[in-house]
Amino acid sequence: MEFEPTIVAFLCNWCSYTGADLAGTSRMKYASNIRVIRVMCSGRVEPTFVLKAFREGADGVLICGCHPGDCHYHEGNYKCLRRYHLLQNYIEQMGMDKRRLHLDWISASEGKQFAELVDKMTQTIKELGPCQVKHSVETLT
Amino acid sequence: MEEIRIGVYVCWCGTNIAKMVDVEAVAKAMREIPGVIVAKDYKYMCSDPGQELIIQDIKEHNLNRVVVSACSPRIHELTFRKALENAGLNPYMFEMANIREHDSWVHTDRAEATQKAKALVAGAINRVRWHESLDKRSVEINPATLIIGGGIAGISAALEIADAGKQVYLVEKQSQLGGTVAKLDLLFPHLDSAQQLIQPKINRAMNHLSIQCFLNAEIREVFGYIGNFEAKVYQKDDLETEIQFGNVIVATGLKPFDPSKIDQLNYKRLPNVITSLELEEKLLSGNLVMDNGKDPKHIALIHCIGSRNKNHHEYCSRTCCNTALKYSNQIRSAFPDAAIYEIYSDIRSFGKGCEELYTHTARQDVMFLMYDQKGEVPKITEARHSEKVNMMLEFREQLSGEHVEVPADLVVLMVAMEAHENAKEIAHAVGVSMCGNSFYIEKHPKLDPVATTTGGVYVVGSCQSPKDIPDSVSQARAAAARIMADINFGSVEVEVTTAVVNEDICCGCQTCISVCPYTAIHFDAEKNVSVVNEILCKGCGTCGSACPTGAIRSRHFTDKQILSQIEGLMSMQLQH
Repeated sequence: MEFEPTIVAFLCNWCSYTGADLAGTSRMKYASNIRVIRVMCSGRVEPTFVLKAFREGADGVLICGCHPGDCHYHEGNYKCLRRYHLLQNYIEQMGMDKRRLHLDWISASEGKQFAELVDKMTQTIKELGPCQVKHSVETLT
Repeated sequence: MEEIRIGVYVCWCGTNIAKMVDVEAVAKAMREIPGVIVAKDYKYMCSDPGQELIIQDIKEHNLNRVVVSACSPRIHELTFRKALENAGLNPYMFEMANIREHDSWVHTDRAEATQKAKALVAGAINRVRWHESLDKRSVEINPATLIIGGGIAGISAALEIADAGKQVYLVEKQSQLGGTVAKLDLLFPHLDSAQQLIQPKINRAMNHLSIQCFLNAEIREVFGYIGNFEAKVYQKDDLETEIQFGNVIVATGLKPFDPSKIDQLNYKRLPNVITSLELEEKLLSGNLVMDNGKDPKHIALIHCIGSRNKNHHEYCSRTCCNTALKYSNQIRSAFPDAAIYEIYSDIRSFGKGCEELYTHTARQDVMFLMYDQKGEVPKITEARHSEKVNMMLEFREQLSGEHVEVPADLVVLMVAMEAHENAKEIAHAVGVSMCGNSFYIEKHPKLDPVATTTGGVYVVGSCQSPKDIPDSVSQARAAAARIMADINFGSVEVEVTTAVVNEDICCGCQTCISVCPYTAIHFDAEKNVSVVNEILCKGCGTCGSACPTGAIRSRHFTDKQILSQIEGLMSMQLQH
């Protein structure tokens, strides 16, 4: 059976969650591997949320926020961007491929882009194979 | 600690969800989760009987948490929160799982969609365990209103509110009110005078005791929240005026598309290729001539310039077809013998009296030629000296399928409407979002077309999408009515999902203060802790993610809630 990854996605309420809603309203089709969590702003996505998702068995984590300059809260997405680069380095040092964590910008009108992004990320994670974090932690403890 | 008693409701949404998700199986799986007392599926949870089902269960089973898995929370979260309130529960003891927009509508495999629904609902169940009662906060409404943009929409809204005796601050960037309508000659479909329509309104707005007009003025930043905003109006000579207001109407209008972006139109290079607004200028001055002062004998109107084309704007600008038909009539009465060509791609003469205008125009000896605006617009070149006209238009006529050449002395480009060039700055200042094409996004396209996701901020007229005068005025008056209702009520309930500091854990590092975009956090030096001003805080949660000790909690988006939601989601993950 083909490996079906689980991807946890954090979407900001104003742009990306609305964009994902639009993909639905427009009946666009995309891979069902994604599990969405709504946050008010991508700036709310704490590093612990991302690590927790991997710890619980996620094979990939996606964060989506408003495009640079369009943040509903002015600059939360920039804060997220900074954390993202640090987090990518961090998971790489943990021995993970940094592509398992991906940040992208989806506006409220970009339903199509959201659907394409999910498909693309799902494909990437499929190629990377299952994430071993949960398994490793369970073996260690 | 009280026992957690959760009710879970899985909506079919008719067949919208039930067709792709096995709602019964989802409800059944949820019954296995500790704390879930009842889990049911029902045809339409948002209907009155659906809500009643929840209310009855809350009472009968002593539920203290509710999860509804249905459509997007952006649509019905408030509906269900209200139902909880009606049953005597705090409305925040509720969580919604989106299994329609994010599931049944976007997937094609029923087993996968059902599996995903289980995960999303399990996540919501885990999250709602950690929900806390939050008190609603009621704020008083400042009865003054700020209106940005003094075109027909802004003026109409201003007069509506001012006539009710409430203060309006009308801020216009230009040196006079009137916007685009003040630049027009006649209006479709009845060819009545734009000036007779707009000038009395301008005069009334300028002289109204309850309207303070600011000309040559701009707003750079708006502070506060619904009911209690404040801003500075900047005018020439560093003149600044501070104003306070309870609501904002954005009516910044439109900008015409620049046709010099399309090379083969030769706009700006050929002097007798002009835009629709430039033709209005000529008509308004009563001087419809070519650049050499002579009367044109062949006039071509090209539709859809910049509209309905992927390279420019995919949308239809809605007014250009009717405007072009209006021009044909005006030109015909000015030059009874002139040849008039409407070079169109589809005539969209919708609206009251407009199809009639089309029928009437077609009888005025006007030649209608169809081009493919998704392909190439007509190529405009200078005519050879032997020709009696000064330009030639070349294109493939769609109905005959033939390559045609049309002579012209004057070419009018029916240019698209774009959002105003300052749309982005205004969006930032007042906190509204934009579509990809720079028009503002309304709260709901059908059910809440003039409100935005920011409380107390409304968008009306062409800044929201291309519009004609009746639509702009309707929107303006609708927004005015919404605001008057709030002013009349006197207060409004606002979200209380702000950040809060646990002073016992706060180490006084002040990291939160440096990341807060609203300067809503200050430092209490005596206690050595950060303090959140709940009035200024908008609940983005950025401080919560930055706090190294976990002292700041984002209410309703706490670490515990989100981490539990992750656990819940992953408890139903696909098997590797």
